[in-house]
Amino acid sequence: MTDEDFRRLCDFLYRRSGMVFTEAKRYFVERRLAERMRVTGATSFASYFARLRSDQPGEVEPFINAFTVNETYFFREEHQLQCLSTDLLPARLMERPAGRPLRIWSVPCSTGEEPYSIAIWLLEHWPQVDAYEIEIVGSDIDTRALEAARAGLFGRRALMRLPEALIGKYFEPVDDEHWRLIADLRQSIHFSTVNLVDLAQTRAHGRFDVIFCRNVLIYFDEASRRMAAENLYENLLPGGFICLGHSESMSRISPLFEVRRFADAIIYQRPGERGDG
Amino acid sequence: MAEAGRARILVVDDAGLVRLYYRQALEAVGFAVEEALNGVEALEKLLRAPADLVIVDVNMPLMDGITFLRALRRQPLPLAALPALVTSTEAGAGDVAAARAAGANLYLVKPLEPAALVLHARLLCGVPA
Amino acid sequence: MPLIRARAGEAAALPADRASLIAALEGGSAGERLHAARALAALPGAVAPLSAALHVEAEPAVREVIFTALARLGCEEAADALLPLLRARQASLRNGALAALAAMPGRLPARLPALLADPDADIRLLACELARALPAPEATTLLCAVVERESEPNVCAAALDVLTELGGPQALPVLERGARRFDATPFLRFAFEVAIRRIRASADTDP
Repeated sequence: MTDEDFRRLCDFLYRRSGMVFTEAKRYFVERRLAERMRVTGATSFASYFARLRSDQPGEVEPFINAFTVNETYFFREEHQLQCLSTDLLPARLMERPAGRPLRIWSVPCSTGEEPYSIAIWLLEHWPQVDAYEIEIVGSDIDTRALEAARAGLFGRRALMRLPEALIGKYFEPVDDEHWRLIADLRQSIHFSTVNLVDLAQTRAHGRFDVIFCRNVLIYFDEASRRMAAENLYENLLPGGFICLGHSESMSRISPLFEVRRFADAIIYQRPGERGDG
Repeated sequence: MAEAGRARILVVDDAGLVRLYYRQALEAVGFAVEEALNGVEALEKLLRAPADLVIVDVNMPLMDGITFLRALRRQPLPLAALPALVTSTEAGAGDVAAARAAGANLYLVKPLEPAALVLHARLLCGVPA
Repeated sequence: MPLIRARAGEAAALPADRASLIAALEGGSAGERLHAARALAALPGAVAPLSAALHVEAEPAVREVIFTALARLGCEEAADALLPLLRARQASLRNGALAALAAMPGRLPARLPALLADPDADIRLLACELARALPAPEATTLLCAVVERESEPNVCAAALDVLTELGGPQALPVLERGARRFDATPFLRFAFEVAIRRIRASADTDP
């Protein structure tokens, strides 16, 4: 790849995803490019780049996949959990009518690490946790992942970021390599199937105070991304918050949300409605 | 050329060639330059790290420059007071008035000469030539 | 454990028939108008009420979802409803219409030649950006024609920005001629240089 090809590719990826690749990451980009060219049978940069630009057989996802960590584990992106308990929930409490539960949606939730992390985090780090009803919903399009989430059985890698004391408190060892979440916790999360671009399906989940939607929108094509973002907008109460993955930016997805800066994270917010709605 | 004392400028334009051109002209005289492709990304970047000046285009996808300026001026201080130089291809009096009303400090019609860009960036950043 | 298991969703019942949705789009709260616009898009005959709403709607979020809905419909009628908005005085309307048109590349080949030859330079400039949505060979042909005949530097620069991303080697002779015409404008000189360098680099290494 020539310098100019590298810049052409980086400009395209930046326009498409907002991800910035500098010279320092060039080796990474070149390796990925060579691999994708081999897999797709492209014989030149130009022919592969044409394929990537048209995103015809969905080439963008496998390409940018290489630059994001797709592993899911407990307490991933802990700064967002910190933001949830320090800033987001207190802000929501100010707007919440008495008696209405606080609702949190983890979507896509994959095998359940994220919604369970939210539950454990709140039990451990949010002193008001006993004073309010909190509903946590985990949803995914993949029904097998949801089965695993309901089963609540996790290996060592998924627990690598959890302090020993929390593993002892919320998990039961099954064997040397596996732990099962305690029944109380497993039963506190509601799991459901959802396709984020299907308005009827998202709408059936009701409205939430906070949505965690990490590392999925970046992979959708532009039209699906916008659809999903608008669905999620309708799934938020006015003033509700949405958290994206750390390499994702709403600047390539939708202008509907306000950008908010909190101590621990950049979060997007559905604007409050002025006197109506 | 005089040092611009590492004053930081955010260039917001959806045209990659424009961003690159401004970057080269501004870095050559010592400014630190960041880029954004539209108003949403500009707000994200400004909320993460402050700047001394934002140079912003009008026609951009998802959030145009005028909408961006209104959102910028609604932010808490000191961000709301960030100097904003609008550079646009639209030269009509109505376009200039719309940008002024939204909070532009200065409006320049594209294409810009590098000397004019540097001169106005210095003035708006308070950096002596 | 204080966490409680979520009950079924609490989505409010909303009207689903066309007449009620149009009424909500015209007179509902911002949230109702937003939902009505999105739901209406799934029903036949949505373009006329959606584009009528676009002209009177003041809430940016509702306008955005209408643009998305028209882009998703993607029909000839939707494209024709969006075209006049490229001339809107409000930047947000112009750019919303531009993004929606860019999302329907199948409707562009029939419309772009006229837009690229529009007497208004601002329209020609936006049309260059629309060409980005086309496959590279079609876009290159259209934009090379722009570079050949365009006298307005900003329009030419817009064409160059897109060619820098997608232009093929057939653009090189056109760019070399164009560069000489705009040699007196520093930004255009720079833009031609970058575009030529980038296209040449790919042309050299390709079989």
